[in-house]
Amino acid sequence: MNDFFINWLANVPGTAAPYAFAALGLIISERSGVLNLTAEGLMLVGAVAGLGASLTMGGHPLIALLVAMLAASLMSLLFAGLVVILRVNQVIAGLSVVFFCQGLTGLIGTLANWQNHPIAGLKKIAIWPLSEIPVIGRILFDQDLVVYLAIPIFFAVSFFLRRSMLGLKLRAVGENPAAADAAGLNVSLYRIGAIVAGSSLVGLAGGYISVVSVKLWVTGMVGGRGWIAVALVVFARWAPWPALAGALLFGCIEGVVPRIAAAGISVPQYLMLMTPYVATIAVMMWVGARNRGYQGEPGALGQPHVREERR
Amino acid sequence: MHDVAMTMRENSPSPKPPPRRGVGRFTLDMRQALSPWKQAGILAGSLAIGLFISVVILDIAGIAPFDLVRELAGVFNADSLRSVLVRAAPLILVGLSAGLAFRIGFWNLGLEGQMVFGGIGATAVSIYGIGPESTRLVVMGIAASAGGLLWVMLAYWMKVRFRVNEIISTLLMNYIASYFLLHLLYGAWQDSKTAFPQSTQYQPFERLSDIGYGINSALLVALAAAVVAGWGVHLSRAGFYMRFISANPNMAKVVGVPVRTISIAVIALSGVAAGLAGFVNVASQEGRLTQSFFDGYVFSGVLIAFLSRNDPIIVVIVGFLLAVLFVTGQTLQVFYQIPFTMVQLIEAIIVIAVASSEFLIRHRIRWTR
Repeated sequence: MNDFFINWLANVPGTAAPYAFAALGLIISERSGVLNLTAEGLMLVGAVAGLGASLTMGGHPLIALLVAMLAASLMSLLFAGLVVILRVNQVIAGLSVVFFCQGLTGLIGTLANWQNHPIAGLKKIAIWPLSEIPVIGRILFDQDLVVYLAIPIFFAVSFFLRRSMLGLKLRAVGENPAAADAAGLNVSLYRIGAIVAGSSLVGLAGGYISVVSVKLWVTGMVGGRGWIAVALVVFARWAPWPALAGALLFGCIEGVVPRIAAAGISVPQYLMLMTPYVATIAVMMWVGARNRGYQGEPGALGQPHVREERR
Repeated sequence: MHDVAMTMRENSPSPKPPPRRGVGRFTLDMRQALSPWKQAGILAGSLAIGLFISVVILDIAGIAPFDLVRELAGVFNADSLRSVLVRAAPLILVGLSAGLAFRIGFWNLGLEGQMVFGGIGATAVSIYGIGPESTRLVVMGIAASAGGLLWVMLAYWMKVRFRVNEIISTLLMNYIASYFLLHLLYGAWQDSKTAFPQSTQYQPFERLSDIGYGINSALLVALAAAVVAGWGVHLSRAGFYMRFISANPNMAKVVGVPVRTISIAVIALSGVAAGLAGFVNVASQEGRLTQSFFDGYVFSGVLIAFLSRNDPIIVVIVGFLLAVLFVTGQTLQVFYQIPFTMVQLIEAIIVIAVASSEFLIRHRIRWTR
């Protein structure tokens, strides 16, 4: 029984990382006032780009992850152009980009014949003296580099949003774009920048799934994690650290499903696979029941800013 | 403002032009109105651009434009036309479902989940043999409607009771529904003869059959639903209320529009339409539940509703056009090994192109110095 828990918890950082990075990326772009539903699609782009890079260029997995980030950022320019420049309804634009990416990645993966070619992936790094601590050592100090990097990345983004001048301006654009515009901030530029920067983290989340966790490309392999990340942002009230906590929670839930089967406990397999989605909805209901009124969302979330259009 | 500046300049002794700064910039004007012809022109232009991009992508994927034209033309022989008409039925129904819900601002993106429960409801009636053979299809339709209705009302209940955003909840409920379907198809409902993950084939009297001229009775169900929805939206008092609610829900409530009742009714009908889509899909095509019969219908529904501007009558037209795309996509899949996700890609390109064109309809771009 002890082994069961240690094996399970040692896997949690790996299963939680995609949720954490995707939610953090979404927080950056939504703090600028853009309702960003593109995560599911951009994670797929990151996943296929990362795996394609490690298959074709034969490079280090870290290079593959960088390619994944770049690819998702590039693709997010499409979304940014639609919602920031052309003022398309942000829900329609987000959904279109997701389905565009689903179609495109399915096509690329099949035509380039990247399906079912396993890759080596990223090695785990044991931080030696600490990794020998019983129980905690394996869970916290025997992970891959990206998991370790998550902590400084969260510190950096949290500092950027809360303490830096640029982050303050970004939040101002998200809270009240008209006032920010009057104060001399270029609203469109801030929003495009936030979308592109945030999307690189969403791409990292997707790349992590294909390059590090699964080590394989399967069409549609993100499997709804992007939508769960969108829900996580609401749960975290658009703040980085609660998003990390939520990601760990979902990492625990996702990680326990295969463990239970492996432990020989007989449960209906497909009903077990529902748990992450059911849990997400349950968490959303709990959030709704707890916070009556203001939920912490940026003031101008989902509203395009048109200087010439007075409201 | 402008006039004041003009008079001031006229009064000043030497009217020197202000120094020119830079090369100028783009400004956006809101258009007050645009003639329908120009609107149609912009729409047609954007559609053409979207289709051109799709053709280029298909060309890169290995289908020369000439072959594409041949395959598209091939859709209009009797055999393919029949499958277009069969395909159109569920597409029209999901388009109606999405369009109705979007009309009152409820983002029902759970069309696939509602189709799944529609299919499950209909199949349950078939498996347990409920009702006499002569009315079996009717009972199946009712069970399918109930399935779709329950699944959408769950999302609505979570929205009003716990303020769970329906975009997220309905999308996640698609995954839950599809896993529940797999649970049945790999478990209790698995066809013992084939051992594939699919249910036992329906009896002949449980299938929607052709009524002549290659027209399937599934299409009649869809057209009837479109007529009812068209009446409701355009002619009935409820349709007027729906426009009021989408324009300004608070105002509607204040002046006494039964917002809650109308919302519940419209969302319920949206679920019924999606459930029926699941029913006509399984009962007219495979005649059994399969693990992916609902694939790709969420975005198809969104696309149809978006292009038809939630108008049930135009939904029928767009539904037919999309059915042509679906059948062509299947042909390309079989003969050119192009994955079916291509259809989804083209759908997304078309929506993006048309959504972008609204910008030109609503704004005038000018270059000012």
